[in-house]
Amino acid sequence: MTLGLCLILSAALFCIGLYGLLTHRNAIGLLLSLELMANATNINLIAFSRFRGDHIGQVFALFSIALTVAEVVVGLAIVILLHRAYRDARVGRASEFKN
Amino acid sequence: MPSSSFSLALLALLGPGAVALLLAIVTPLRNRISAIVLSLAAALSALGAAIVLVKGQLQPVPPQLVTIPWLLQDGIPFAEIGLRIDGISTSMLLVVTFVASCVQIFSVGYMHDESKPAQGRYFTYHSLFLTAMNILVLAPNLLQLFLGWELVGVTSYLLIGYYFKKPSAAKAAVKAFWVTKFADMGLLIGLLVLRSKVGSFDWDAAITPAAANVVTLLLFIAVMGKSAQFPLHIWLPDAMEGPTPVSALLHAATMVAAGVFLIVRGWPLFAVAESTRAFMLGLGSVTALIAATMALFQTDIKKVLAYSTCSQLGYMIAALGAGSLLGGFFHLTTHAFFKALLFLGAGSVIHAVHSNDIRDMGGLARKTPLTTLTFVIGALSLAGLPGLAGFFSKDLILEAVGEHGVSLPLLLLLFSAFLTALYMGRLLLRVFFGESSDKASHAHESGGFLILPLVMLAVPALATGYFGGMFGQLYGTAYHFHLGTTGVIAAGLGLLGLGLAFVLYRKSAEHPALLQPIARLIEFGPMDRLYEGGFHRIALPFAALIGWMDRYLVDGVMNLTGLAFVVSGQKIRRLQTGVATDYVLATVCGVLALVLYGVLR
Repeated sequence: MTLGLCLILSAALFCIGLYGLLTHRNAIGLLLSLELMANATNINLIAFSRFRGDHIGQVFALFSIALTVAEVVVGLAIVILLHRAYRDARVGRASEFKN
Repeated sequence: MPSSSFSLALLALLGPGAVALLLAIVTPLRNRISAIVLSLAAALSALGAAIVLVKGQLQPVPPQLVTIPWLLQDGIPFAEIGLRIDGISTSMLLVVTFVASCVQIFSVGYMHDESKPAQGRYFTYHSLFLTAMNILVLAPNLLQLFLGWELVGVTSYLLIGYYFKKPSAAKAAVKAFWVTKFADMGLLIGLLVLRSKVGSFDWDAAITPAAANVVTLLLFIAVMGKSAQFPLHIWLPDAMEGPTPVSALLHAATMVAAGVFLIVRGWPLFAVAESTRAFMLGLGSVTALIAATMALFQTDIKKVLAYSTCSQLGYMIAALGAGSLLGGFFHLTTHAFFKALLFLGAGSVIHAVHSNDIRDMGGLARKTPLTTLTFVIGALSLAGLPGLAGFFSKDLILEAVGEHGVSLPLLLLLFSAFLTALYMGRLLLRVFFGESSDKASHAHESGGFLILPLVMLAVPALATGYFGGMFGQLYGTAYHFHLGTTGVIAAGLGLLGLGLAFVLYRKSAEHPALLQPIARLIEFGPMDRLYEGGFHRIALPFAALIGWMDRYLVDGVMNLTGLAFVVSGQKIRRLQTGVATDYVLATVCGVLALVLYGVLR
């Protein structure tokens, strides 16, 4: 296992997340994609930490995981509200500010 | 006693000024009889001050000047403001305050039927006018004279438009204002040229003849406007829309004479300006003739007198053009008296008959004897009957113009003298003698307020001629009356004119067949049409062109700039779709672009 392989894995995950973000219309799908992208960065942090031989990156990864959880909580709350308002979780529906 | 005469002059200036200000601000005072009382008190006290001042000038005394610096810039005064007391200013002050007092007394009776607030407004304007005129008359330099000049122009506008609900009066006021303001540009430019050449606004500074010619010609343009000289005379007949006492004071005796006064005041400049004076002589005599001809063909009593005023002002201008300072000013004085008398007499007649048209009058001599008597005195004085005031002053002018032998201006002026007698004879015959029309048959003599000023003015209209020596003294020039050839010819022509009037107009105001073409030409109104044509053909298209440039070039650039931003904003707005995915895509593209930039650099 080399750093290069880890970075390729992380980049692949990131791109899959990005692709999901751009193609999904459903809010839950978007949240899942964001989660993939966040974990891709976490893999980056841990990989660098592992191959540099210190632990700062791992600390950051923990931080990042905690923050992502908070983000998902807020995101899911919004999804629930959205679903209550429109009986639908597709973000395209919530476009009332657009005239 | 310089300080006492100074305070007297200040009284003449500030008395009416204070009254005008008070009446303008305090409405309750203006809306009652107090307006009349205050205004009259100020005018009469100014008259008293003027009498004492003139008495002080009868001994040879140097001119007294009291000035304060005005318009300081960097501590150096740009000009001075103050009072100048000498023979010229005090005698003019006397004429102005005397006629103003008479006219105000007359107005008490004449404006009696107006509502109290309207009367208050009228007398406020009168006080303002007297202030403005005194500022002009007592000016120590041309800048203050200009100040008074513009102020009397404003009061003239206000008083012509006194019956502002009448469209013709409002129009006449605007016309008078425009024409005189147009001419006043000459005065303003002349002042600036004078300042740049001499470094002050004083009329007695040393100046080269060439510069004097330029300055005086510019000043004379303003004189042409104010003193209604051809071709800028067109506003004066229309100004008769104002109340008759106003016509007497402003548009016959004093304000229109301000132009002549300007020349008298600026005489040191005009004396060296040979070309300007030659022009003045020519234009004055032409105006005298044209206006006298116009006067003959009017049927409105006030318009006859208005054109007569133009004509007599032409005499004054011609006299000054011929170099006779005394002739111009002496005629100004006598004319102020008899023309104010004639206008007030006309006012009394109009008051009795309720019409301006001389065809509605006739046979008034039996019904209004005092008005008739005083009017006849004024008319004969104007016609130059030997022994009356107008004869002496007109004779002085004709002597001065004819000094160097027979010339065209002299002939024009002599013929005008004949016409003057003719139109005044026609007026007298049609108004006071012959058979009375329906309207005139119910006429009766006016009340005391109307008659008293007529009598007051009839005295100087009779007798001023015998005080030529006094006027000479005030002017520092000798005056001896001697009857020359021109005087005899003028008197003869005057009598001939009166006689011919009796022959032609004894029965009716209609003109004989020989004169009909001229009557038709005057009815056609060539000058007014010329101005109107010029206005429509030149001024309006020019204004339209400027308007087009403003609207489409200047505004166009502005509007185009605004429009560009509006349109581009509307286009760019489309980028904000409100769809989160699009923003993500934009962000990704941006990041990719940055990465590409980083790699390729």
